[in-house]
Amino acid sequence: MEQQLAELAAKVAELEAASAVAAVTNTMFAETFYYLTIPLMIIIHAGFLAYEMGASRLKNVLSSGVKNILAFAFMIPTFYFFGWWVYWGFPTGLPGAPGPAGISGVEYANAIAWGWGESAQYMGPNIADQASGVFFGAFALFAATTASIMSGAVIERIQTVGFVILAVVLGSFAWVVAAAWGWHADGWLVTQWGVHDFGAAGLVHAVAGFFALGVLINLGPRIGKFNADGSANHIPGHNLPLTVTGLMLIIVGFWGFLMACVIVPGEAWSWSASTPTTIYGTPITLSALSFNILMGISGGIIGSWVLTRDPFWMMSGALAGIISVASGLDIYYPALAFIIAFSAGILLKPCADFLENRGIDDAVGAVTVHGTIGLYGLIMLGIWGSGFPALQGEAGSVPTISLMGQIVGAVVFFLIGFVPGYVVSLVLKMLGMLRIPQGAEEAGMDLVKVPARGYPEWGDDAPVTPAHPAE
Amino acid sequence: MFPYEEASWSVVDGAMFMGWGSALPGGATLVAGLLCVLVLVYGQRSEAQKAKRFDK
Repeated sequence: MEQQLAELAAKVAELEAASAVAAVTNTMFAETFYYLTIPLMIIIHAGFLAYEMGASRLKNVLSSGVKNILAFAFMIPTFYFFGWWVYWGFPTGLPGAPGPAGISGVEYANAIAWGWGESAQYMGPNIADQASGVFFGAFALFAATTASIMSGAVIERIQTVGFVILAVVLGSFAWVVAAAWGWHADGWLVTQWGVHDFGAAGLVHAVAGFFALGVLINLGPRIGKFNADGSANHIPGHNLPLTVTGLMLIIVGFWGFLMACVIVPGEAWSWSASTPTTIYGTPITLSALSFNILMGISGGIIGSWVLTRDPFWMMSGALAGIISVASGLDIYYPALAFIIAFSAGILLKPCADFLENRGIDDAVGAVTVHGTIGLYGLIMLGIWGSGFPALQGEAGSVPTISLMGQIVGAVVFFLIGFVPGYVVSLVLKMLGMLRIPQGAEEAGMDLVKVPARGYPEWGDDAPVTPAHPAE
Repeated sequence: MFPYEEASWSVVDGAMFMGWGSALPGGATLVAGLLCVLVLVYGQRSEAQKAKRFDK
């Protein structure tokens, strides 16, 4: 009997040891999972850098790069200083009351997201906390992505410091509010309206796209973009292949972006012990992402090819394809995702032309690709995904996805982007900090701002031609 | 279009995409396939037409 008890005790000890090892392995896996999304998302920035520099004329190529690199650099500390706090503090709206999941509100944010006092233990190296740093990193890269989306639209005439201020407002405040409201299990858009935006079509892409639109209205078009009669010209960038390659790099980075939207199971902070979940706590798999991202890319490219045959718009179509299905990547059927992405690819160029014909000079089509298609994706999910539970819980006790909820989300995301973009850029304009002077714009921003030349041996820019020659 | 009667994730233990168990997946696959074929047919026609302009 005693021997049996001893054997049993040994078995229990063995199991406990194995369980402790498994827990360490899972924790290390979870930390590594998010850690690796960070360099993957930095590829998004390599892509935006190449894309913007390629879309710039020779005389502006390096200043476009400087602007993009600075946006990234300022986004990280400002998101550390206050963006992370905003995300945790205000999911339920003002004044920052705690939500039902118990992981939100100003008090909670004060305890975990300030870089001083007791809360600083979660904002720096801590052997007992293998989650905060990698989560912060992934979110900071989401923030930097929003700034890069706006960055491309405003190339070749914006002032560097004015742009950085706009980038900080967008990346460390505006989209963070959208994320708190629509991408947090306690977010009021989720709990009250059942808004579902798994891959951030609305709260990242639409917010950034319409923020850019607000800025573009005050910034005005590049010199030479529009003729006296209002017709538009096409101002060719100096390197279309670089732009197209940049767009492809953004697609590569999107895999990290979307991977970071998954909550790994089995940790104290996980939604589930055994199932990967979305940020809302609903189930998802990386396989679901793989199916639907790939079908989204393909549908968008093919749709754009039908209409344009232009590699710039085809790769923009790839982005649009992913964005159009991003809200429901967890629940779309892949063939349906392909059809929606195809329609987004078709819509892309006409929507960009619509803006251009109204005097908006969006140099890279960012408002359309990210803004318009982001909202389109939100609405599509409302049509196809109605009835899906938006949170974990018993039937009847949790909100479900609905067309009305997605429309409410779309309106809120539009406003969160457009209003601050318009207001802050208007203030910067009044202060003389938005646009560079005409002489400097004509001479080229590299000559004025950058002590180096992109291609010192090369000559002039390609000629400016009518944007719609058939009209 | 939640594919289960009860609108709760706790009842889901398998396929969880829109229209599972209905004609939607098959229909969508058919439409997506047709789109690919139609795009190729249209693409070939329009490219051939444009290429003709350069015939000597």
